[in-house]
Amino acid sequence: MTDWLGMAVPPRPPRAELQGLVLAQVRAARRRPWRLAAAALVVLALGGGGLWAARTVRALRFERDDLARRAAALGDTVAAFIHSPATRLIQIPVSTGGRVGSVTIFADTVGHRWLVRCDGLAPNAADQAYQLWFITRDGMRSAALMPMDSEAPMVTTLEMPRAGAPVLGAAMSIEPRVGSSAPRGPMVFHLLL
Amino acid sequence: MSLPKRLSQEEQGTLVRRLKARDERALGELFDALAPWVVGVAVRILGDVDEAEEVAGDVFVQVWRRIDQHDASRGPLVPWILSIARNRALDALRRRRRWWRKTEQWERGGRGELGVAEQGIALHEAAVPGWPVHREVHAALATLPEEQRRVVVLAYFEGLTHREIARRLAQPLGTVKTRLRSAQAKLTEALSHLKDWIA
Repeated sequence: MTDWLGMAVPPRPPRAELQGLVLAQVRAARRRPWRLAAAALVVLALGGGGLWAARTVRALRFERDDLARRAAALGDTVAAFIHSPATRLIQIPVSTGGRVGSVTIFADTVGHRWLVRCDGLAPNAADQAYQLWFITRDGMRSAALMPMDSEAPMVTTLEMPRAGAPVLGAAMSIEPRVGSSAPRGPMVFHLLL
Repeated sequence: MSLPKRLSQEEQGTLVRRLKARDERALGELFDALAPWVVGVAVRILGDVDEAEEVAGDVFVQVWRRIDQHDASRGPLVPWILSIARNRALDALRRRRRWWRKTEQWERGGRGELGVAEQGIALHEAAVPGWPVHREVHAALATLPEEQRRVVVLAYFEGLTHREIARRLAQPLGTVKTRLRSAQAKLTEALSHLKDWIA
């Protein structure tokens, strides 16, 4: 029964504008769910975008670092090939698609690595690629698949086979883009060292 | 100053239903009918008109938000709203750390009882819905012995615990509890016939 005790106090009229303030607050509260939903959507979008951006930046950074490592390693390899007294230089003129080019092989006889640079080769058809071969006593062994889609020179490094028969020479043929187990297409060059 | 409006019987009967249907005009009508009593309770507790009106505004916003929680089978609407007003006012009192200062002001001003003809404000009886209820409650309190009325006022309007009342009145805790029990029994008997006057 003490619930009624508030009625023991004489009433006191509120100031005139209080009712308007209450109703305004109520209306604002009724609109608030939409605003909250909109704000939540914005926050989600910003959060999602931020997450995507962070992941992309992380992936790009990883890729950049990887490329930098590979470029540095390639630089070291090139420097070693060029300056090593054990490096043998083989330059092979070639003719592809009616144009004259060259394939240059820096053969590191100590490190058993090759650096191969192709200049002036005709770009491959979409379903074809140049394939480089090691010539051994046991036959041709695939060394690298080198698809060329532009006029730009192409450089690649190769590890020479350490096991099995020694490398006697090199050859290059035009093969399907996925490569072949043995040369079947037109031969670009065939050279015994 | 705007005086409270009377509610028609028809309006009174549908007020809660309209509030539950989120009819803002119903809230305006409820405000017209009850705001003077809510402000009165808050002024009595806080002793400050500006704070009391701030509390009253919060009370009606809370009533709007929580009207679905009001269960008519468990009690009338007006005491429910008055209890919200009381709790809010006591919260404000505690929150603003004016508890002791306010109560001391009440003591010095001799307003610790029910002499709450606030600051020259006088409302014409006919203009205020619920005035008969006010008279009955006031009379029920007035019939209590002085020592019982005092503990009721300290508990209800100042939110004191039994232990705090005992300390304030320098009375044993058991005495305070006994007085409160006796007062509550008498009030219950005197006011048991009261019905909600608004819905």
